[in-house]
Amino acid sequence: MKGILGILITLFGVITISAQTLDVKGTVLDEAGIPIPGVNVIVKGTSKGASTDFDGNFILKDVSVGSVLSFSYVGYVTYEVTINDNTDLNVQLQPDVAQLDEVVVIGYGTQTKKEITGAVSVVSNETIEKLKPTRIEQALQGQVAGVNITTNSGSPGGGSTISIRGVSTNGNSSPLILVDGNVVEDLSVVNPYDIESINILKDATAGIYGVRAANGVILITTKTGRKEMPLTIEYNAYGGFQQTTRKIPVLNATQYGVIVNEAYAAGGSTPPFSDLSTLGIGTDWQDEVFESAPIMNHHITLKGGKEKSSYSFSSSYLTQDGIVGGKKSNFTRVTNTATYNLDFSENFKFKSGVTLTGVNSQGLPENALGSVLFNALNMAPTIPVRDENGEFSLADGLGAEVINPIAQMANTYNRNKVMKINGFAGLAYNFLEHFTAEANIQFNYAEVSSFSFDPIDYYGGGKVFNTLTNGVFEGFNIFRDYTFDGFLKYQNKFNDVHNLNVLLGISVFKTTGMFSGATATDIKNNDIRYATVEQGLNQRDIYVERGSNPKFDGRLLSYFARVQYDYKGKYLFSAVVRRDGSTRFGPNNKFGIFPSGSIGWVASDEEFMSDINTFDFLKFRASYGVLGNDRIGDYRFVSLLTGEGTYFFGGNDRENEVFGIASGPISNPQIKWEKQKTLDIGVDMRILNNKVDITADYFKKRTEDLLVSPQISGLLGTGAPPYVNAGIVENKGLEFAIGYSDNLNENFKFNIKYNVTTLKNEVLEVSGEDEYLEGGRFGISQPAISRMEAGFPMGYFVGYQTNGIFQNQTEVDNSAVTNLGARPGDLKFVDQNGDGVIDLNDRVNLGNPIPDATMGLNISFDYKNIDFSAYTFASIGNEIVRNYERNQQLVNKPIWYLDRWTGEGTSNTSPLQTIGATSNTDFSDFYVEDGSFVRLQNVQLGYTFSDNVLNNDKISKLRIYVSANNLFTLTKYRGYDPTIGNGAPIGGGIDNGFYPSASTFLLGLNVKF
Amino acid sequence: MKNLKIISNLFAFLMVLSCSDTFVDVDSDDQNSETFFNTEEDYQLALVAAYDYLQTTAKFYQFAEIASDNTLCGGESATDSPYIQEIDDMIHSPSGQSDGGLRTMWQWMYEAVNRCNYIMEFQDKTDFSNKTSVIAQTRFLRAYYNFILVKWWGDVPMLVDKRIQFGDQFNIDRTPKEEVYALIEEDLIFAAANLPYVQSETGRITKGAAQGMLGKVYLYQDKFAESAEVLEDLINNGPHRLLTPTEYPNMFERDWENNIESVFEVQYSDVDGGSYECFQCLEGNYSVYFNGPRGFVDAAEKFDSGYSFNVPVQDVVDAFEPGDLRYETSILDMEQYIIDNPGSSWSGDGYEQTGYFNRKYIARLGDLNIGDPALTNPDNYRALRFADVLLMAAEALNRGGISDTRAQDYLNQVRNRALLPSVNTTGTNLTNDIYKERRVELVGEGHRFFDLVRTGRAAQAIDGFVAGKHELFPIPIEEIQLTGNRWNQNPGY
Repeated sequence: MKGILGILITLFGVITISAQTLDVKGTVLDEAGIPIPGVNVIVKGTSKGASTDFDGNFILKDVSVGSVLSFSYVGYVTYEVTINDNTDLNVQLQPDVAQLDEVVVIGYGTQTKKEITGAVSVVSNETIEKLKPTRIEQALQGQVAGVNITTNSGSPGGGSTISIRGVSTNGNSSPLILVDGNVVEDLSVVNPYDIESINILKDATAGIYGVRAANGVILITTKTGRKEMPLTIEYNAYGGFQQTTRKIPVLNATQYGVIVNEAYAAGGSTPPFSDLSTLGIGTDWQDEVFESAPIMNHHITLKGGKEKSSYSFSSSYLTQDGIVGGKKSNFTRVTNTATYNLDFSENFKFKSGVTLTGVNSQGLPENALGSVLFNALNMAPTIPVRDENGEFSLADGLGAEVINPIAQMANTYNRNKVMKINGFAGLAYNFLEHFTAEANIQFNYAEVSSFSFDPIDYYGGGKVFNTLTNGVFEGFNIFRDYTFDGFLKYQNKFNDVHNLNVLLGISVFKTTGMFSGATATDIKNNDIRYATVEQGLNQRDIYVERGSNPKFDGRLLSYFARVQYDYKGKYLFSAVVRRDGSTRFGPNNKFGIFPSGSIGWVASDEEFMSDINTFDFLKFRASYGVLGNDRIGDYRFVSLLTGEGTYFFGGNDRENEVFGIASGPISNPQIKWEKQKTLDIGVDMRILNNKVDITADYFKKRTEDLLVSPQISGLLGTGAPPYVNAGIVENKGLEFAIGYSDNLNENFKFNIKYNVTTLKNEVLEVSGEDEYLEGGRFGISQPAISRMEAGFPMGYFVGYQTNGIFQNQTEVDNSAVTNLGARPGDLKFVDQNGDGVIDLNDRVNLGNPIPDATMGLNISFDYKNIDFSAYTFASIGNEIVRNYERNQQLVNKPIWYLDRWTGEGTSNTSPLQTIGATSNTDFSDFYVEDGSFVRLQNVQLGYTFSDNVLNNDKISKLRIYVSANNLFTLTKYRGYDPTIGNGAPIGGGIDNGFYPSASTFLLGLNVKF
Repeated sequence: MKNLKIISNLFAFLMVLSCSDTFVDVDSDDQNSETFFNTEEDYQLALVAAYDYLQTTAKFYQFAEIASDNTLCGGESATDSPYIQEIDDMIHSPSGQSDGGLRTMWQWMYEAVNRCNYIMEFQDKTDFSNKTSVIAQTRFLRAYYNFILVKWWGDVPMLVDKRIQFGDQFNIDRTPKEEVYALIEEDLIFAAANLPYVQSETGRITKGAAQGMLGKVYLYQDKFAESAEVLEDLINNGPHRLLTPTEYPNMFERDWENNIESVFEVQYSDVDGGSYECFQCLEGNYSVYFNGPRGFVDAAEKFDSGYSFNVPVQDVVDAFEPGDLRYETSILDMEQYIIDNPGSSWSGDGYEQTGYFNRKYIARLGDLNIGDPALTNPDNYRALRFADVLLMAAEALNRGGISDTRAQDYLNQVRNRALLPSVNTTGTNLTNDIYKERRVELVGEGHRFFDLVRTGRAAQAIDGFVAGKHELFPIPIEEIQLTGNRWNQNPGY
């Protein structure tokens, strides 16, 4: 019997028997026990059938004994039951988690999973609810093959970088993200609980989005009510605390004293600590900086529907302090969403939704030289937090950037406030039986205000952060955009076997905005309470005064067509063509045409397969297409007077400042969009009675005409280099996902899902020969360490390869090569070109931040009223650069420097400590670490109270749970967090004292009324 | 059917509204560079932007000082800014010519020249009464920037009266430096003829500045007669004089900017913040902070801290005669300073430290310090001082065999102001005395290296200097590649 999975049936009531036929009646309920109206109940093999009414009831008269009743409803597993003597049925339908008729959103339409010919992955709201993400990206990590997430910052509200099937461009490589058709750049404003599903278009299927599709497309749909649905209220809440996952072990005061003395001696100076015995343990600056921080979330949803309409309303409140800085890095988000759908008539329908979002956030300096964690790691343990007068201790002698991190936090005042309204409205009209016309409009409007106050402060002699004149900044930016989509669909079935779907449409996108900001100095009493521009002196507008244009206007005009055809649902074909016009390109290259196509073959539907029972479902598919990328700045095809040219006449005070006019970025009228040729070959199958679901894909993406901004001749001046279409990047790999779900018995069901993606990224060409683009900084004033260069992965690290440590002077002397002033105990750099000199030409590939493979493993099981789930993901083969050591004479160091070289034979990996001239601090593989990891992202244990325990008509479901996010990470990486990223294709994977993702421990509640 | 009508009307409306391809033809609200220069204000604003790049020359005077025998590179450590160390050590590796180093300087000067040529390209577009003045200032600036280019690199691509567009860079050759000098002379002659000795605003280029620079440019070409003539015209007819011995200690102080001895001065300010992201956008003089002592806490509350670059060596300290008024103003001896100002301290660490600092150009306390205090110091650079004019005139008169008497007079004006006795040497001895005086008078101001080079004394004075090679810096290797490998490198590189 098919579809038994997850179905409970209870028989009760009076059994009525008649000779040949029976009258059957019953109620159909959803998984939560709520009646489902509109369920099709059909006597199989006949035309006899009925639909359930508003209360989920149905009646079928004269049903033959032995016939089979089929209950079907979109989104639920079809349930069948044979009628013997059972005349009063209480059927509970189960939602289908990975069903073949699951609806997949593919852009301007939907398809069932069975019909899909592209590589499309879906993350359901169930997963999102389990993971309790504060940001959507966290729900994607490890869930979907081919999607990799790196964290830009673990601070509350901190962003992530999503890359779909590798890094295919040197520019902005994030996918296009549409929430109900609305372009969203900043996902922090979206409440994950409002999401119904996330659909990820990974291959040429994304071609329907043309010039913006090359990095993949993420389509997010939000929750809405259902017709004929009684009012249901859900309330979810959790609260808990967050902790750092790790502290980097650093030297305590005594160990520090030993190493510093040794370094001074080695550098020919007098050791500063004459009596080590007085130093003790000293200050643990990380203990001072990290704290346990609360997090709390409330979310309420109301949903319902009448005969012709449905509605929903939801409201959420999230507040989260930071594990560094507590309230000083608080993130608070409030969302309110309402949707309303109305059928004016059978064939004229309306839908709408609106969301109001408010975000308040604060932040601290992070992941940079002189950031809070950087300072906590480098601050000397011999210095107390406060001196004997109770003032914050100064950090004298620790270089210009390392300051007391506690003082730094106390003096940091900033806040960022986002007020956003976005929404959509759409009309759909069915006519002439096969046609549907749809018009949808989506809009976003956001006001972002920012504030910072930089008080007068003093951290020690020569610190760059010393402030003599306090200053305040207030910024106010407005962002607006709208998307209008209008399209016509034709759908018909010919001769019962030829299915045809045609889509013709236009899409218009316009984004505009305005920036404003002002600064002032000399805030009264150096007091935050007086810190407004209005109350300061030297008030300045940062845009108008300079004559710079604070507005932008970007537009996109698109026409698209799609044809989908299948023969008996067995041979599938789809083709898309889109023409896009973008304001980012000049008159000659404004418009681009993006074709793509895909085919599929449902082999399991073939006659000859019917005898082969191995496969419940087997489909082969392939897609190919050309996708675009236009993500560069506006107006780079024309030379504009946006340059800086300020000078002073008659003195050097503010009134003497004159803002001149000069050319801005260098223009190139020839630029056009990047072109990505993308191929996907995949197979979907289900075996073992649909218990095992497998999807495998091979992909190859070749991005050509990359929009690179290469080095250009200085004769052209200092304007930002023009974009040119040059360069090729290739990403290829395999994706494999397998799911296994089963019910061992009535009380125990489980589900295991695993996915793995391998990726090979290679830059094949960069503008000219021997050319490379570079980025990424290491130490102070050292050459850039990240490159995009032909023959290497995007953003690979270039530096010296080491070969142990010089053990004695003879070894130094006999060495054919000597780096500057090499001495015993120094790192041996390899003379790659054998020219007898170690110089920058000897630098080689030391790894790259792109993982070779990523994978996710999700396990869940339900036993009676208990549910358990665990989510893990892993990243293998990515490297991280350790760049949180300041290399100053008196700074602290990680504890592994206890294993330093102290004489012949003592170490062949860790060089001697010296304050003298050394090239050990030059970027070499000594600073590159393996960033592979496995992380237990979420473990959750829940208990759902049984109905008889609840014994309450009002509450239909009550569940409590405990959950732990980011519980542990297995990695060899010694820094805070190996998920580090920064979104930059060139310059990613460099750890400057990264704000780690917190471990979160939650206690939560789900109630349904 | 009514609904159908609504829908079809809606569609029709939206099609009309949006289906036109002109929807994506949008002009920026920013000015297009091709349609500018319609009013006097447009010209004046473009001129301001041409002045702006004077501020980038802080790097040139600082690096030139480091290249000379006056100072060492210094800095934090052996790995701090290798490109500056290479300037000092006369090693010019390909990477050292890149970011922050020679290549950046090359780019800046061409941006500067392009800004001048942008005005020149459109000089005939719109007429207005002050146009001659605008063009004269523009041409002075172009000459000033081109002079830097020939001093550092010799034969350089000469761009005249036209911006270059993307793509043009592959068709431009190096111009023999004689031709570049000819253009510089023409520009300065035009500027001198069309500008007043006194401008209503300080910071504006004057006739004196043009004459002084012209005299210098002639001297660099050993055109002694022309040099002497224009410099003596300036000495005799211009408004400038030396500060008196009493006034002199204030020469480099903030309250004495644009003083009577300062013939041409680059203006800096502390009002505007700044960051390392755009060094050429700075309004402050970054070099003064970089020249300062590391971790300096000054009990006298006069000097700010710094990054310990550009540190004077003992040799230049010893070059001062006893009783020289200028020593105290020129050299900051940390040991002595801390004795004189109890409670002061400095970290004393850093690379190649000598304990001496360039007191003329280290950061003073008391400015706004908005943003990064290292990048926002308001100390003007005295690019051309009347003392320099007098010494150049003396040199031209002496070396050109014109008049040792007048040469002695000019030299002794400078010496007497420093409370030193007159000299009465003649001929080569006088030449050497003038050279000696130039070193101590102008120490820390970035003139020494090119004085040694143009007088053929560099190889004996500077460690690592190879005659026939190091007179010029290498054309940044990437610049040769990026213009299609059509230029030969300077000799010896």
